[in-house]
Amino acid sequence: MSTRVEKRTVDMQVIGEWVEPHSRVLDLGCGRGELMGYLAQEKQVSAIGVDLDFERISACVRSGQSAYQGDMTAFMGAFPDGHFDRVICSRTAHELNDPAGVILGALRVGSALTVGFVNHGFWKNRLGALLRGRKVQNAVYTTRWHESRPTNPLSIADFEDFCREKSIRIARRVHLLGDWRTPCPFLPNLLAGYALYDLARE
Amino acid sequence: MTDDVQAPPAPDSKLRHLAGDDVGIVRPRDFTHAGPFVFKSGQVIQGFTLRYETYGSLNATRDNAVLICHALSGDHHCAGWHSENDAKPGWWNNLIGPGKAVDTRRFFVVCANVLGGCQGSTGPSSIDPSTGRPYGLSFPFVTIRDMVNAQKLLLDHLGVAELHAAVGGSMGGMTAMLFAIEHPQFTRRQIVMASAANESAQAIAFNEVGRQAIMQDPAWNGGDYPKDGGPRVGLGIARMMAHITYLSDAGMDRKFGRRKRESAGGEAYTFDAQFEVESYLRHQGQSFINRFDANTYLYITRAIDQFDPARAYGSLERAFAPVCAESLVVGFTSDWLFPPEQNRAIALALLRAGKRASYAELATDLGHDSFLLESDALYSLVRGFLERDETYVFDFAI
Repeated sequence: MSTRVEKRTVDMQVIGEWVEPHSRVLDLGCGRGELMGYLAQEKQVSAIGVDLDFERISACVRSGQSAYQGDMTAFMGAFPDGHFDRVICSRTAHELNDPAGVILGALRVGSALTVGFVNHGFWKNRLGALLRGRKVQNAVYTTRWHESRPTNPLSIADFEDFCREKSIRIARRVHLLGDWRTPCPFLPNLLAGYALYDLARE
Repeated sequence: MTDDVQAPPAPDSKLRHLAGDDVGIVRPRDFTHAGPFVFKSGQVIQGFTLRYETYGSLNATRDNAVLICHALSGDHHCAGWHSENDAKPGWWNNLIGPGKAVDTRRFFVVCANVLGGCQGSTGPSSIDPSTGRPYGLSFPFVTIRDMVNAQKLLLDHLGVAELHAAVGGSMGGMTAMLFAIEHPQFTRRQIVMASAANESAQAIAFNEVGRQAIMQDPAWNGGDYPKDGGPRVGLGIARMMAHITYLSDAGMDRKFGRRKRESAGGEAYTFDAQFEVESYLRHQGQSFINRFDANTYLYITRAIDQFDPARAYGSLERAFAPVCAESLVVGFTSDWLFPPEQNRAIALALLRAGKRASYAELATDLGHDSFLLESDALYSLVRGFLERDETYVFDFAI
């Protein structure tokens, strides 16, 4: 059992807790469909995933999930307000071209939005960058800069600022320590490795 | 669609049709519906014949049938060989066969020449029993719905209780879509490739040029011409023009470039075919007129033009409302006849209607004909969609 796999499932469990059974879910950046598979099994949701890569879409289809290959903003543009009960944006926020546009779009097509992201304000990430003087590399971000996709690292403080500025209501928040398992009791921007937000329109 | 996307059959062996993953020698059969058949137009014919082929066998629960739906110039012969001396196998032989993406060990594959066709099914070149002469333009106008209804009668005749899937590219995708709409309980899955929920003005325009080439050929004679006669010039030109729309700029450049025919010599000042692309298109036109009927070309292109479920049902979402099938829509980046955008629109409308639908897009340079592509990525997608277990259980115990 690798740390990565363990962290992935912890993520799924928290996300799953916020999903209503039998609801209609949109997974932005669905990858190979593991989360949709988990939600289908645990919550009997009807889910659609969006991703850019053919092989990932094909993997979703092969495992029984529905998935759409294309741009997530254009995808959401094709749906009326509130079409989905919940939109999930798990570990994709840092790779979005237009994070505000996607999050606001997701709050339009979805009644609720889950955003989960690695907190780049976490002390290990800060220290790593400070001491090594190099791009953050850890169990989640394993690659060096020249092997990585363009990323736009964000912290819990960044995200809270953003929600306040856009008048996005934070219904629930979960901050987890570096093990991504233990709740973080205080100073989340410094001590939490991973953050999950349950958002809704104001 | 063109008929040369597949690589030429492997090593010239008399036994190639017995290759392990081929369906081998196949024999077309005829299904005759004896009663009257009412077209969407209200016109009626007293019975019809559909020529079809099947591969694999129907299971005990009679629910493992996969209907393959052909495109404009396709036919019932989608896999295998008709004889040991055939130059080519069926048009989707790369996809269909034992162990292939559409696995004939698992599925009962059915493919019929459409109503209105000219490869053995009843169409304008068939003899009208009431006159003893070919129907010509007295043949009723054919729609995709008429093709679907005729094929449903065939499937009933074969004892198919429900379709595991309807699969088609281009016009075949329209047929599959309409199966899912018109026979929702019967159609469990659909795969729609390189298709559209309705043709663009550009696609209608190309069809119209093809029809004009045929109808302005004096030999067309109002659709009244003898068998093996008719508007051969017009049909050949229609095919040459249409063939270009099935390819892409990049694909043609890769295949032909500006290469000249070796036999063209150094003579630049003639209108003989000099470039390889010219002789290729001439060959395509010539081979087409020997196997296709000009009136069928008119009828089927018209059926494709008319296909518009959004208009027929009020909106595409309403059209898809009864659909029970799970859908897989596949677009191809270089297809400018039925471009990715139109394929996306099908998937999005299905999703808006609350249906289970996926959309995947393959990057190719083969244009509209890409759905005939030899691609492991496409095979694995199609196989995955057809064979996935509906009660797939993830193992999250780690």
